[in-house]
Amino acid sequence: MLHDTLRFFPGGDRAVEVELGDGMDFTLNFTVHRLVAAVREAGIAAIEDIIPELASLQINYDPDRISYEDLTRAIAAIYEEMGSDVSGSLPSRLVTLPVCYFDEETTACIEDYRKTYPDKRFDPDLLCELNGLADRAALARRHSGTEYWVAALGFWPGLCSLLPLRPGSRITAPKYNPPRTWTPKGAVGIGGALCCVYPDRTPGGYQLIGRCPAPIYDGTQRLPAFRDSLALLRAGDRVRFRPVTAEECAWIDAEVAAGRYEHDVVEYQIFSVDRYLDWVKAHGEKA
Amino acid sequence: MNARCITVLKPGLETTVQELPGRIGYLEQGFPVSGPFDKWSFRQANLLAGNPRDTAALECQFLGPTLRFDCDATVAVTGADMRPKLDGEPAAMWRSLPVRAGQVLELAAAYSGARGYVAVSGGIDTPVVLGSRAVFHMARVGGQALARDQVLPLGPPPSGAGDILAVPEASRPPFSTDKTWQIEALAGPNDDWLDPASVEMFFSADWSVQAKSNRTGIRLSGPQFAFAGRALDKSSDHGQDPSNIIDHGYPLGAVNLAGQTPIILVNDAPSTGGFINPFTVASAAFWKLAQAKPGDVLRFRRIDREEAGRLRAALETVTSAGVAVRV
Repeated sequence: MLHDTLRFFPGGDRAVEVELGDGMDFTLNFTVHRLVAAVREAGIAAIEDIIPELASLQINYDPDRISYEDLTRAIAAIYEEMGSDVSGSLPSRLVTLPVCYFDEETTACIEDYRKTYPDKRFDPDLLCELNGLADRAALARRHSGTEYWVAALGFWPGLCSLLPLRPGSRITAPKYNPPRTWTPKGAVGIGGALCCVYPDRTPGGYQLIGRCPAPIYDGTQRLPAFRDSLALLRAGDRVRFRPVTAEECAWIDAEVAAGRYEHDVVEYQIFSVDRYLDWVKAHGEKA
Repeated sequence: MNARCITVLKPGLETTVQELPGRIGYLEQGFPVSGPFDKWSFRQANLLAGNPRDTAALECQFLGPTLRFDCDATVAVTGADMRPKLDGEPAAMWRSLPVRAGQVLELAAAYSGARGYVAVSGGIDTPVVLGSRAVFHMARVGGQALARDQVLPLGPPPSGAGDILAVPEASRPPFSTDKTWQIEALAGPNDDWLDPASVEMFFSADWSVQAKSNRTGIRLSGPQFAFAGRALDKSSDHGQDPSNIIDHGYPLGAVNLAGQTPIILVNDAPSTGGFINPFTVASAAFWKLAQAKPGDVLRFRRIDREEAGRLRAALETVTSAGVAVRV
C-alpha cells in the first residue's frame, strides 16, 4: 500500500530514509524504482548514494552541500511531479538460474544448525507446512513456477531480493532466530515473502531450499557474465529458476570452476507494467 | 634504487589498506562504503607523511604489523598507541618519520585505543576496485587483509615531501582514559518503533562494547528495549520479531536493533536489512567507535542535526593541512 505522501526519516546527519508505503509488492517496489530514476535524473550534486529497497529508498548526501530540509523538499517535489500512476515499459533482462532443490550442501548446513538448535524444523518441511504444500516436490514446483522481480540488492555484494510475479506463487517463511553463522555459497532461501540467492558463504536467516551452482557474484570477474559488473543481477531484472538434478549441478560446478560457464541471460525483452498488471487482474489477485 | 614498495614481515591482526572517501555509488549493489574507521587519525597520518589527506594508507586493528621499507620514504603513525619501533628503537607517533631503505617499522598491541594508522609518502598504490583502494576484507573487495611477505607498492613521492611535521597534542583525537566514551547520536530513522521510555533509556544507560565487534559492527550489551505500537502491530510482511521491518537501507553509524542486541553499523556493515535503526551516531563521532575497545563503556548523548554540523566543522578543522606544523 502506498502512503498518501512520502514519509522522511533522518538517519543521522548524512542519510535520509524515504518511505513510500507499507508492504512487499510489485506496484510499491516499482514506484520506488521510478522515484529513484527521477531523483537520479534531477542530478542533485550533493547526493552520494541511493539505495532502492522494497518499499523505501535511502539517500546518502553531503550535508555541507545541501540541508536536510532542502533535500527532502526537492525529493517531495520530484515525487509530486512524477505522479502516482504505475505504467510504462522498461527493458528487463530475464536470467534463468539452475537450482538443485534439497541438495547435499544446504541439507548439511541445516543439519549443522540443528546440532545447536535441535528444535529447529527442517527448512523444507517447515515451508511445506506453513504454505499448505503437500510435499517437497510441491514446494519445488511452486518455487520454480514463476518469474521473480529483482526488487533490490543489498546486505552483501550482489545479494538480491526477489519477489514472485505470478499471483499465487508466494511462499512465506519466518527467518532463523538466531541467524545462521554460515550459509553455503549459492544457497537459495525464503524469508518473509522474499526469495534470495546467497552470493557467497555468509551468515544468513532465510529458510534454505536448494543451491544454485551458477554464481551471482564474481569478485574476480572471470566468467563472461561478469565482464561489466561484479554482481550478476540488477534491480528490474527478472529471474526464473530451472530445477536441475545433482548430476547437472555437479557439471555446472565443474564448468564454473573451469571458467567456462555461460549464464542464461535474455536481453531483448521489454517488460510492460500495464500488461503485467492486466494479467494479474485477470488471474484475480492483487499484485 | 628499488621500486618504491613495502614488504610485510608480520601482517598484524587484519591490517587493511584504506582510502577516502571509500567506495561511493555502489551501495545499491550491496557494496559497503568501507574506508578508514577513524578518519581523524587517518587524515592526520597522511598530512604528516606529506600526502593529500585522503590518500590510501594502512589501518591496523588491535595488533599492528611489522613492515620493511624497500625505499627511502616519510612515514607517520597515528591512532591507537601500538608502541611503534623503527629498527628496534621507540619511534614517535603523530609526527613525520624519515625512513631509509631497509629500515623496519614494528607495531605492537594497542596500548590505548584500538586502531592505528600508518601512512607512507606517496600512499599505498594497490589497484583501484570500483572506484577505491579501500579494502572490504570479508568479501575480498579491493583485496584482503595484509599477508606475510606481501609487497605493497607505493605511489610517487609527493612534491615538497621531506618536511618534518607534527600534530600538536591539542589537535589529536582525545582518547578516553577511563574506558568510557561519550558518543553523540541522533534519534531516528526508526525511533518511533520504540517505546518513548526506551528512547530515553538508550541515552541514559551504559552500553558495553562486546568482543564480537569488528569493521562491520560494534555489538553492545545493555538493558532491554520495549517497543511501540508500530513495532508490535504491523503487517506480516515486516516479519515476526518486534525489531523486524520490511528490508530497508542501513545508514552508516545506525544503531541497528536485532532482537535485543544493538549493533552499531560501521564502515563494512551491510547496506540493507530487515531490522530497525532507532538511532544513528553523528558522523563526526564515528572515530570514537573505532577506538573503543571490547569492555569499554559507551554513553550516548542526544544531539540534533545542527550540533552534528558543528561537530563536522570542528573535525574538518583538525584534519585540514594547517594542523600539521613544522618542528
